[in-house]
Amino acid sequence: MSELAVRFEHITKRFPGVQALSDVSLDIAAGSVHALCGENGAGKSTLGKILAGIHRPDSGRVIIHGAAVDFATPRDALAAGVGMVHQELAFCDNLSVAENLCLGALPARRGMLRRSEMRRRAVAMLAEIGADLDVTRRLGDLPIAQQQVVQIAAAVGSGARILVFDEPTSSLTQHEAERLYGLIDRLKQRGVTCIYVSHRMPEVFRLCDTVTVLRDGRHVATRPAPELTEAEIVRLMIGRDMAEYFPTQTDVVNAAELLRVRELSSPGKLYDISFSVRAGEIVGLAGLVGAGRSEIAAALFGLDPHARGEIEVRGKRVDIARPADAIRHGVALVPEDRKLQALVPLETCAHNTTLPILPRLSTLSWIHRGRERAIVDDYFARLRVRAASPDVLVSALSGGNQQKVVLARWLAARSTVLILDEPTRGVDVGAKAEIHGLVGKLAAEGAAILLISSELPELLRLATRILVVREGRLAGEVPASSATQDGLLRLMAGLT
Amino acid sequence: MATSSLPVPNHMRAVVRGLLGSQEIGLVTVLIAAAIALSLLAGSHLDRANGQIVNNFWNSYTLIQTATDASFFAIMAIGSTIVIISGGIDLSVGSIYALSGVSMALCLRWLSSSSGATTTLAGIIVCVGVGLLCGLLNGVLVVGLRVHPFIVTLGTMWILRGIAFVATHAESILVPTSVTAVTKASLGMGGGLFPVPMLAMIVTTIIGAIYLRRTVMGRHVFAFGGNPEASRYAGLSLSRIQIGVYAISGATAGLAAFLGATFYGSASSADGQGYELYVIAAAVVGGASLIGGKGSAIGATLGALLIVLIRQSIRTLHADQNYEWIIIGCAIIIAVVIDRWSQGLTARRLARAAG
Repeated sequence: MSELAVRFEHITKRFPGVQALSDVSLDIAAGSVHALCGENGAGKSTLGKILAGIHRPDSGRVIIHGAAVDFATPRDALAAGVGMVHQELAFCDNLSVAENLCLGALPARRGMLRRSEMRRRAVAMLAEIGADLDVTRRLGDLPIAQQQVVQIAAAVGSGARILVFDEPTSSLTQHEAERLYGLIDRLKQRGVTCIYVSHRMPEVFRLCDTVTVLRDGRHVATRPAPELTEAEIVRLMIGRDMAEYFPTQTDVVNAAELLRVRELSSPGKLYDISFSVRAGEIVGLAGLVGAGRSEIAAALFGLDPHARGEIEVRGKRVDIARPADAIRHGVALVPEDRKLQALVPLETCAHNTTLPILPRLSTLSWIHRGRERAIVDDYFARLRVRAASPDVLVSALSGGNQQKVVLARWLAARSTVLILDEPTRGVDVGAKAEIHGLVGKLAAEGAAILLISSELPELLRLATRILVVREGRLAGEVPASSATQDGLLRLMAGLT
Repeated sequence: MATSSLPVPNHMRAVVRGLLGSQEIGLVTVLIAAAIALSLLAGSHLDRANGQIVNNFWNSYTLIQTATDASFFAIMAIGSTIVIISGGIDLSVGSIYALSGVSMALCLRWLSSSSGATTTLAGIIVCVGVGLLCGLLNGVLVVGLRVHPFIVTLGTMWILRGIAFVATHAESILVPTSVTAVTKASLGMGGGLFPVPMLAMIVTTIIGAIYLRRTVMGRHVFAFGGNPEASRYAGLSLSRIQIGVYAISGATAGLAAFLGATFYGSASSADGQGYELYVIAAAVVGGASLIGGKGSAIGATLGALLIVLIRQSIRTLHADQNYEWIIIGCAIIIAVVIDRWSQGLTARRLARAAG
């Protein structure tokens, strides 16, 4: 067990404006599963990418199985037996699984591709890791979980003895994640060393033998996983005790109903959904992936042209055919995919904030920049958006601060009904607590909040009551006071 | 945070930076350097009229002639830049130019008896109006058919020129002298100098810059080009934005056609052939990104000036004109590469200043 697979010696890496890693030294035992934990920006992914040849350290040495290495490209790393499973490192979406798996060495005779040989090799590579997929399918048509399996098969098939997993479960369902865990267990049995970059505690404890915590690019601790608790790891990650947010349960029974939905339906997606949200209430929406949670959000925000049903906002029947209608009636959506659906990356924080309300800040299309700046400053201060200035590009901010910009946008639009779809996805631990606090504060100030989350602890912590959706229908409603994780899971899965 | 090592007073630097982004400052530098180099290399000749030695490039006639040549491209490039910022492309501007020009020439034939002011006004309205309609057509087709703008405008490029061809029976049509007199007014600058197209270019640049940077519509164009999905989620009307940018592009092509047809005195269906490529080149040299979300009106004008200046230098230096296209092609690629390189430097410098 004491044989070393990888040794990092005094690794330092600087990116423009960021010291990603400073003097990190660390040993990884052969055949172990080793977690790299830390907040976003702590340097954990950078360390993984250095090992896989994507980045080159400014100084320091990487030693693999006793020999110092210097990878210029991921190809060099793979030749030395290091592979990486990484979403941004996806293969060619337009090619088949077999073509992707054999891309490095396509079997050919006189320049003509030998298809059957290629398929045979691909199937063998998948079998090697105990997987079985249709190798003739286009890679891009497969779910992300299966694309990862292809990546793993490619790496192992080309002789990788060390695999770096960079947040592999961030877009997997619970079930898919379980299968990945099983695959990692099998790899471990075969003596493959796995380096697992993650900040999700349950999977770190499920999988890993050893945990290394990084903070601000520095090595904080490396310990055997059984000696650590979740709270300890979080404390090491953020460098202080986390002040958890606990809502003050206020009496909302008599508050005004800000949102009422009657028999909301959309063919193939939603069937007869009825519920209401009062001012000051945080109503949680739980369900498995694909159960219809985001579809409810889309229907309420005018993104689903086929949605039917009655929507009342502040007691008034409204017609919402497009997002502009929803926004006009004070309904806002913080969408699931911040980068794709919420932010314009080439624009500044200020411009991203005021995007929906420009007509209000202008006369005859002429924008009053003073008014715009005043609003932005006001909401950035209220939400404690940490940006060097509102004029920096929004893409320069951390995930948590980007999410605050999206929230600032809808508060500036004077929205009273907030639909939050996975508001803390991709947000680091510290910012998560802050966003929780913010959501509680907004409710306390009289907003009606519909909170969609895949993280049951988040729902249990924040919501006043929780609606459970299953297969497009409301499967039940549970007051937060009597809800348990187990009970919710049973409702979500349809077990009685 | 100093952006230059020149001993410029701080408030001056702030003013310059307010007017121009880093992109434009780079282009202005290149333009000035090219103009100085050209003046030094151009040699001089003796002006027979007043017996003075005159630089072959640095004289008011050549300078204004260069600006005039650039003005038609620049005005269209501003419209094109707006389309490119929205993530689209407009290949039909050369054909819109031709159709607007011949439409005006045909209309003015009927109005030939009217006074100069009326004909001029009618000419502008017809030109810009036809351009605007063609642009609207592009926009409606892009939005309505959900076909990539490259395909739509490739189609209308031929359709519109074909209409111009059929309407004129391939003949060149003269524009009344009462209108050409307006575009060729010397505005008190003396014989042989016609500054009107240049002034139109400057005014259009200013309007374009204001549109893009200070209006809601301009902000929406940037947002749509930067991330259409997020713009939809922010409640913007995407079809209105898209139709709008093609309408503007068409209108600028119409305006350029008015200036071009009246400056040269005639219009034909063969006018403006290949202009779309000069125009897109000017926009791209001026910093517009074909992926969308980035570009500026001032950059487009500077880009057009640079391309025309390169062409002019071939003439002034008496280089072999057969090499003109090769040189322009190389210059465009070099300009874009240098631009990306200098942006990398800027980003690193900003990061250093911040970190």
